[in-house]
Amino acid sequence: MELSMSGGALRTFSRCVTCLARIGSDLVFQAYPDKLELHTLNSSRSAFASVSLTRDFFDHFHLPADAYADAAPSSTPLQCSVLLKSVLAVLRTPTSAIDRLNASLPNPQASKLEFVIHCVSGRKKTHRISCSAESDVQTLALDRNGFPSRLAIRPRDLTRLLSNFQSSLQELTVIATEPAARLPGVDDGTGGKAVELLSYIDPTKDDYDSRLHTQLWIDPAEEFLEYEHAGDPVDVTFGVKELKAFLTFCEGCEVDILLFYQKAGEPVLLAPRFGFDDGSSSNFDVTLVLATMLVSQLNDGSVPQQPPTSAHHAEEPRAAAAAPSPVPENVSNHTRIWSELSGLTPKSFEANAENRAQKERNGRANVLNDTSVLPNTNAPCKLPVTYNANYIEQPVQMDHLEEPPG
Amino acid sequence: MSSSTTSGQGQGDEAPDLVCVVDCVHGMVDALSCVRWNKHQGAVVELSEHGIVVTVEESGCLQAKVYLKTELFAEYDHGAEGRPRFGLSLGLLIDCLNMFTVPGFASPVEIRYPGPDMQLLLRSVGSPDACIHAEIRTRIPDTVAWDYHFEHAGNTPVTFTVKSAILKESIDDLEWPGSSIQIQFHPDPPSVIFKGEGHGDLEIEFSYYANTDLLIAFQCDQELSYRYKYKFLRATTSNVPSSVLKENRGSKVTIGRGGMLKIQHLVSVARLGTQSYHNFAGGAQQPSRIAFIEFFVKPEEDD
Repeated sequence: MELSMSGGALRTFSRCVTCLARIGSDLVFQAYPDKLELHTLNSSRSAFASVSLTRDFFDHFHLPADAYADAAPSSTPLQCSVLLKSVLAVLRTPTSAIDRLNASLPNPQASKLEFVIHCVSGRKKTHRISCSAESDVQTLALDRNGFPSRLAIRPRDLTRLLSNFQSSLQELTVIATEPAARLPGVDDGTGGKAVELLSYIDPTKDDYDSRLHTQLWIDPAEEFLEYEHAGDPVDVTFGVKELKAFLTFCEGCEVDILLFYQKAGEPVLLAPRFGFDDGSSSNFDVTLVLATMLVSQLNDGSVPQQPPTSAHHAEEPRAAAAAPSPVPENVSNHTRIWSELSGLTPKSFEANAENRAQKERNGRANVLNDTSVLPNTNAPCKLPVTYNANYIEQPVQMDHLEEPPG
Repeated sequence: MSSSTTSGQGQGDEAPDLVCVVDCVHGMVDALSCVRWNKHQGAVVELSEHGIVVTVEESGCLQAKVYLKTELFAEYDHGAEGRPRFGLSLGLLIDCLNMFTVPGFASPVEIRYPGPDMQLLLRSVGSPDACIHAEIRTRIPDTVAWDYHFEHAGNTPVTFTVKSAILKESIDDLEWPGSSIQIQFHPDPPSVIFKGEGHGDLEIEFSYYANTDLLIAFQCDQELSYRYKYKFLRATTSNVPSSVLKENRGSKVTIGRGGMLKIQHLVSVARLGTQSYHNFAGGAQQPSRIAFIEFFVKPEEDD
């Protein structure tokens, strides 16, 4: 296999490798007559990333003819597996200093993959990376048309939404409902929050109480470029680290993000959304498949993972001071943000009700978050967390979710 | 307080071996820092009528010399017979000189040797209001500094000159394979190859015809190939001051008889704002205030 790339393709290749390196540690190259595929699987086998580069992506793409006895595109590809760390070392040279990059694997049994960088300065750097014997290469191909639901979002919008969550957040839950389903008689100020993003914190972990729990209600029409969901609400919980790696990649390539999902337990698929109006297609594609948690957050009928009232801790200056959820500057009226630093282990509704009543009798405690965008009223609400009852619309929202739709 | 220029100010009847005044202290610090690859290094300082030479060595395999010619000094008064030599800590000398470089206050420094107890004396001159005074203990050098009698490999030197920034970048890149680096000279086609093999291999080729700007000079009439330990090679460029990189200076790499590697850099010690240019490719320019830095690296023995 011999290939050569330069310019924009080289920059895209570099971004692909950087993205894959944030997900897994081994890179599998598979060369077909018409394309090159790169795969990686993360160590916990919950994320599989795949990059596909067509012949046209490269300045030069050559496969030895005898590797394909039957010359069928689906025949066994020429493949090798290398450490992503090593490929990153090759790409340490800034792409602006590279005139062109050649890669070659002389034969399927070759022990080293060779990269040659022709620098703008005139230097020629040749890297030879050992290939590991990877007899069992896992690949995963999901048909994106097989997913009933999808959404498309701009990378910068997703970045903005994610910035409301604690940066060390590991897992995120997305709850999707039908956009049109609203309770009758509801004040239209709530309308359209069909999607919810929730931080997922493992309840069995010791630091559950001290973690920041965040929920966002989103109007798909406001935040997403596309949103398709029909039927029952579904929720999917997946890893944030891999999501962020993919997000950075799309940002660099200036493409939007597509998320295909089905339901809890089924994997989600992320892909770039190439906006080609003229019928042409991109010469590269990247897909990220993330496993989702089997347990649905919607099953118990109450707001998922709802931390209880923090009434006790609201009065502690420590807790109050430690609630740093920042309000994005350009928050729209349609996106509600609620964050709380919980101080108690999850309790039942009834136990909290007493706390709530106590709280209201004591007057308003310090608000732990900065929901300056929300109207300030004292409506009674059914939320387990009520320290300041600032949400007039949210109770209605929650009601909607608690009731089985339909 | 006027700057002291006359000798005979020392204690007792003897004139000091050397009294000199440095007016660009940070330039001197740059030049000396170039050869500081470890925090604690002993240096041997030699004072002659031509200037000061500071020599640093490690493990008998790596030696560096800083040549500070008399032109670099505002004043230079050598009063000794012969060439006095003494040892001191390079780190201490550099840190001490740094104390004199107060931002916005460029004060010349007078260096005097020996003090009453054979120490090196430094003091700021030029300000009537204040004086910074320092002394550094010296010692008798343990061994005679190993003079790497550098001889050329053949009739003509085998050498190439490349931008210091590119040389430094290449040696930094070779950290990835690390361990032992092979340098090969090929006369035809004219090229130099740096090669490292480790958990991965990296080969960097400087080809004369690849780009007219790459190899500023190249001379080679025979195939040569020697190996050097990466950490010694690294020391030759790791502390090249940023002024060298910004001024686009060239570094000259030569392999001598037996595989001895010589790498030379130029560091300007000019006063800020003064133009000073001198390059290896020849041609005389304005009077230069350049410190010459030389590194010698012994090749690895072939088993």
